[in-house]
Amino acid sequence: MSADTAVRSVSTDRTGTPLKTRSPLYRRRTRAAWGFALPFMLLFMTFTAGPVLMSLAMAVTDLRSRDLRNPLGVNFIGFDNFVAVLQDPLFRKAAANTLYFVLVGVPLTLGLALGIAVVLNAGITRLKTFFRVGYYMPVVTSIVAVAVVWRFLLHPDTGLINEVLGWVGIDGPNWLASTTWAMPSMIAMATWRSIGTLIIIFLAGLQGVDASQHEAAALDGAGAWQRFRFITIPSMRPTLLFGAVITGIGYVQFFEEPFVMTQGGPLNSTLSVAFHTYNQFGFGNYGYAAAMSYVLFLAVVVLTLVQFRVLGERDTPRRHRWRRTPVARKEIGR
Amino acid sequence: MNRTVRAGSAVIAVAVLGLAGCGRGDAGTAGEPQEAEEVAEGAASGAVEVWAMGTEGEALGAFAEDFVAENPDVEINVTAVPWDAAHDKIATAIAAGQTPDVSMIGTTWMGEFAATGALDPTPDLIDSSAFFEGAWGSTDVGGTNYGVPWYVETRVLYYRSDMIDQAPTDWAGLTAMAQEMQAGGAEWGISLQPGQTGAWQTFMPFAWQAGAQIVTEDGTEFTIDSPEFVEALTFYQSLFDDGLSPTALPQGSLEPGFMDGSIGSFVSGPWHVGILDELDSAGMANVALAPLPAGAEQASFIGGANLAVFKDAESRDAAWKFVDWLSQPETQVAWYAAVNDLPSVASAWDDPSIADDAFLSVFGEQLDTALAPPSIPTWEEVASVIDTELERLTKSGADPQEVSTSIQEQAAAIGTGL
Amino acid sequence: MSTTTKDAPTPTATAGRPALRRQGRAIGAPRAHPLAYAVLGLGLVVVMSPFIWMALSSVKGEGEIRRVPPTWWPQEPTLDNFTELFARLDFPQFFTNSTVVAIAVTLGNLLFSSLLGYVLAKFEFAGKKVLFRLVLGTLMIPGMVTLVPLFVLVANMGLVNTYAGLILPFLAAPFGVFLMRQFFLGIPDELIDAARVDGASELRIFAQVVVPLAKPAFATLAILTFLGSWNNFLWPLVVATTEDKYTLPVALALYSTGQNQTDYGLLLAGAVVVVVPVLVVFLLLQRYFVQGVAMTGIK
Repeated sequence: MSADTAVRSVSTDRTGTPLKTRSPLYRRRTRAAWGFALPFMLLFMTFTAGPVLMSLAMAVTDLRSRDLRNPLGVNFIGFDNFVAVLQDPLFRKAAANTLYFVLVGVPLTLGLALGIAVVLNAGITRLKTFFRVGYYMPVVTSIVAVAVVWRFLLHPDTGLINEVLGWVGIDGPNWLASTTWAMPSMIAMATWRSIGTLIIIFLAGLQGVDASQHEAAALDGAGAWQRFRFITIPSMRPTLLFGAVITGIGYVQFFEEPFVMTQGGPLNSTLSVAFHTYNQFGFGNYGYAAAMSYVLFLAVVVLTLVQFRVLGERDTPRRHRWRRTPVARKEIGR
Repeated sequence: MNRTVRAGSAVIAVAVLGLAGCGRGDAGTAGEPQEAEEVAEGAASGAVEVWAMGTEGEALGAFAEDFVAENPDVEINVTAVPWDAAHDKIATAIAAGQTPDVSMIGTTWMGEFAATGALDPTPDLIDSSAFFEGAWGSTDVGGTNYGVPWYVETRVLYYRSDMIDQAPTDWAGLTAMAQEMQAGGAEWGISLQPGQTGAWQTFMPFAWQAGAQIVTEDGTEFTIDSPEFVEALTFYQSLFDDGLSPTALPQGSLEPGFMDGSIGSFVSGPWHVGILDELDSAGMANVALAPLPAGAEQASFIGGANLAVFKDAESRDAAWKFVDWLSQPETQVAWYAAVNDLPSVASAWDDPSIADDAFLSVFGEQLDTALAPPSIPTWEEVASVIDTELERLTKSGADPQEVSTSIQEQAAAIGTGL
Repeated sequence: MSTTTKDAPTPTATAGRPALRRQGRAIGAPRAHPLAYAVLGLGLVVVMSPFIWMALSSVKGEGEIRRVPPTWWPQEPTLDNFTELFARLDFPQFFTNSTVVAIAVTLGNLLFSSLLGYVLAKFEFAGKKVLFRLVLGTLMIPGMVTLVPLFVLVANMGLVNTYAGLILPFLAAPFGVFLMRQFFLGIPDELIDAARVDGASELRIFAQVVVPLAKPAFATLAILTFLGSWNNFLWPLVVATTEDKYTLPVALALYSTGQNQTDYGLLLAGAVVVVVPVLVVFLLLQRYFVQGVAMTGIK
C-alpha cells in the first residue's frame, strides 16, 4: 500500500469524488442495489434469518426435548446457558482441541491448496483436466470410503504411514489411539479433504491476475518468485480472503473427522465443539446446545474479523491496481 | 425475545393445555402414571401411517398385506427411514406436529420421546405378559407403558470353541478362559469395549450381574454408586490391566482377528453371526456362543426396537390393532422368517424355526435374564457419561471407586428427567 | 497470466512495446516443468487413493471388504452389490428427486447470490455494510442449531414432504453471496463505468458486461452448490415423510446402515453411484474455472 494514498471514506464513487449520501446518484444506486438484492433477501429473511432468531430464543431458555410439543412452556433463563457452557469442563477441552485444529489446520490447508493451484495453473501444460479432477476427488468421495482408507493408513502395525516411518528407523505410534497423535491425524485428514475445494476456488482466482503486469515486472527484472509475491498474491487477495474465511468457518465447526474416526476420543482428545454440540442436541438439551452453538459462532466471528483485517481489501482506490505501477521505484506492487 | 415467557404464563399454559411434563418450576408431572384409553372392538379401519427403520422398513409394507387382508377397510402406509439420524427425524417431527400414527423407536429413545408427551400409553388390548420381561421393561417410562417391544437383541459371549473346552459360567471362569486362550497362542483372550460410544452396553451386564441397581424403583434418583457397581468396575478393569483385553483395537480388526485366532472371544449381539459368516464361512465351525458368565446373578443387555403409537395419531384404534397383530406369536415367527429379527414375544421362540437353531437358542436362553437400562428421558446423556468414565477406567487406570462416585455425581447433576 | 492450456498464446502487443516472449512463450504462461508433474503426481496418488479404493471395493463381497489389511484389487469381483442396490432401490425416483432439487438450488443460487454479490462488491448504497455483515454473519452460524426451528417453520408453511420444502431453504445461501462478491471485486470498475457512460441500465450492465467476465466464479459456485445439494442428507431426511420424496443419499443410507451394523457392500456401491453425476457436472464445468478474463479491454 503506497504511503501517499490517503485513506478515503467509503462513500465515494469510482472516480474518487466523495458521494453525498443524499445525492440523487446515491439514491438511484441504492434503489438499484436493493432491487438486485430483493429476491435473495426475501428468501433469506424467511428461511435463514427467521430460524436464526428462533434459535437465539431457544438459547436463552431451558428448552429440552420434553418441551418439543410445547415450546412456549419453557422458562426464560437469560444467559444461564452461556455461563454453563463456559463452565463445562468438556466444553473447555473441546474448545482447546478446536483451537489447536484451527491454528494448525487453516494455514496448512491454505498454503498447500495455493501451492498446488499455482503449480497446476502455471507449472504444467498437459493433463490439466486430469489433475484438476483428481484433486477434487476427496471432496466427492464418501466419508465411509475415506474413513476406511485412512484407518488403513494409520494402522499401528500394518499401516502405510508407520511402514514408511519404519524405513527411516522411526517406530510410529498407534495414531488414532494416542492422545498426542490423534489430533494431528485429524488435521491431516481434514487438510486432505479440504484442499480440493480450495484448489478450484484458487484456480478461478488465478485467472483474474493480469498478464500485462507480469510482463511489465519481468521486463524490469523481477524473478518468478518476486512476481508471485508482489503481483499474483495481491491480485488474489479477495480470493484468498474468501478461501481463508470459508476454511476458518469450516474448521472451527469441524465434526466429520472425529465423528467417523475416533468419536471424539481417545479420552476426548479429538472432541470438537461441534461434536460436543451435536451430542447435546442428541440428548435433547436444545437450549443448552443452542447456546453452545452461538458461543461457537462468536469464535467464528472473531476469527473472521482477524482474517478480514489481514487479508481484506484496503481502503485504497481499486483503480490503482489496474494501472501499471512504475517499477523503477524499486517498489513493486504497493 | 419473542419467546420470552414469564413463569406465571407457563403455569397457565400448563393448566390450559393440561399436558403433563411441560412448564417447569414444580416437580414435573411426567413421572405420574397415565391412564390409557381403550381401543374399540371390531376390524380396523382408516389409513395408518407407519415409520420403520432399516430392513424392517423395507419389508414391513409387503408383510402388512396379511393384516390388510383380515381388515379390508384399513390401509397401511409404511415409510422406511434410515437409522442414521432417525432420532433427529422423530424429534423434529414431534416438534412440528408432523408425527405418523406408528413409529419404530429404538429402546434407548423411549424415555426421551415419552417425556415429550407425544406417545400414547399402551391400552389393555396388548397382553404384556407375552413379552420378555426385560423387553417389556423398556416400554415403562415413569410407571406408564408406551408402545410394545417389537423385536429384541441381546449380548452373548462369542468364543473360539477350538481354543477351550467349555464356556465359562462365572467371572473367575471368564478370566481363566481368557488366560488359557492367550497361553494357547491368541494375542488377546477377550475383546471388550474399553470406552467410547456404546461401551456401556458391554459393561452394564457386568454391573447387573453383580446386582447393581441404576435407579430407584420409581426412577427418580440414581443409585449408581454402590459396592456392587464398584465390584463390576474392578472386575472390568482387571481384564484390561491383566493384558487380556486390548485397550486400543483398531476399528474393523475385531472380526478378522477373531476368525484368524488372534482374538479369543468377544461380547456382541445376533448381527455378528452374519458378519462372521460372510467373512469366513468355513471358520464358523470353530465359533460358539454362550450366555454371559454370571456374577452374583445372570444378566445381559437387552436392546432392539419398540413400536409406539403417537397421541396425535389420526387412526389411533387401527394403529393399536396393527401393533397388536404384529405382537401375536405367529406374526412374530413369520417376521423372523422375513427379516431375521428376534421375536420379543417369548412363546414365539418355541417355534421350530427358532428353537432348533444352535446359535439362536443361546440368545433365547440369555433373553430370560437380560435387562434393559432404565427408560428415563435422560438415559442417553447418562450413558455417554458412563462411556467416558469407562475410558478413564480402562486406559488411564483410574480407581474404580472414584469412577463410580464420579458417574454418580454427573448423573445426579443431569437428573433422571422424571 | 495466460489462459489457454496448451500452446503459448500470442500476447497482446501493448502500446509502444513489442509483445514479450522468452523462449517462444509469453511471460507467465504455463511452463511444463518435470518436477511439477512429479510433485503433482505424487500428491494425486495420495489424494485419489480412497476414491480408487471405494470404486474397487464396490465390486467386492462383504467379507472381502471387511478384511484387514484392506485389499486393493478385488479377489473375487462381483456385481452383486450393484444388482442388489438397483433391485431394492427405486432408483429412477430418487435420482429424479435429487436431480430436480440440486439443479433448482444451483440455478437459484447462481441467480440470486450473484445479483446480491455484485451490488455488495460494486455499489455504494444505503445499508450496504449492514447487509453484508448480516449475510456473512449467518454464514458463520453452525447449521445444526437452526434445524428444528427451520423445520417447524416449514411445517407451518405446509411445505413438509414437498419439493418446495426441499428447495426453498437453500435457494438463498450466504455462501454464494460471499463467493460472488469476492470475485466481482476483481472486475475493473472502469468497465462498468464505461458501460454506464454508454447509458446501459444496471441490469443490462450486469448481464452483458459483468457476467461474461465472471465465468470462473459462476462455474465454481455451480459445482460447489450442486455438490452440497446433491450430498445433502439431514434436511431431505427430515422434510420427506413418504419415500417418494427421498433424495439419493437418504435412500442409500436406508438400505445400508443398520441399528448395529453396516452393509458396506451396498454402502460403497451406493457411494459410487452417487458420485457419478457430481463428476459429470464437474467435468462439464471445470473448463470454465480457467477460462480467461479478457483484461485487455481496458487498455
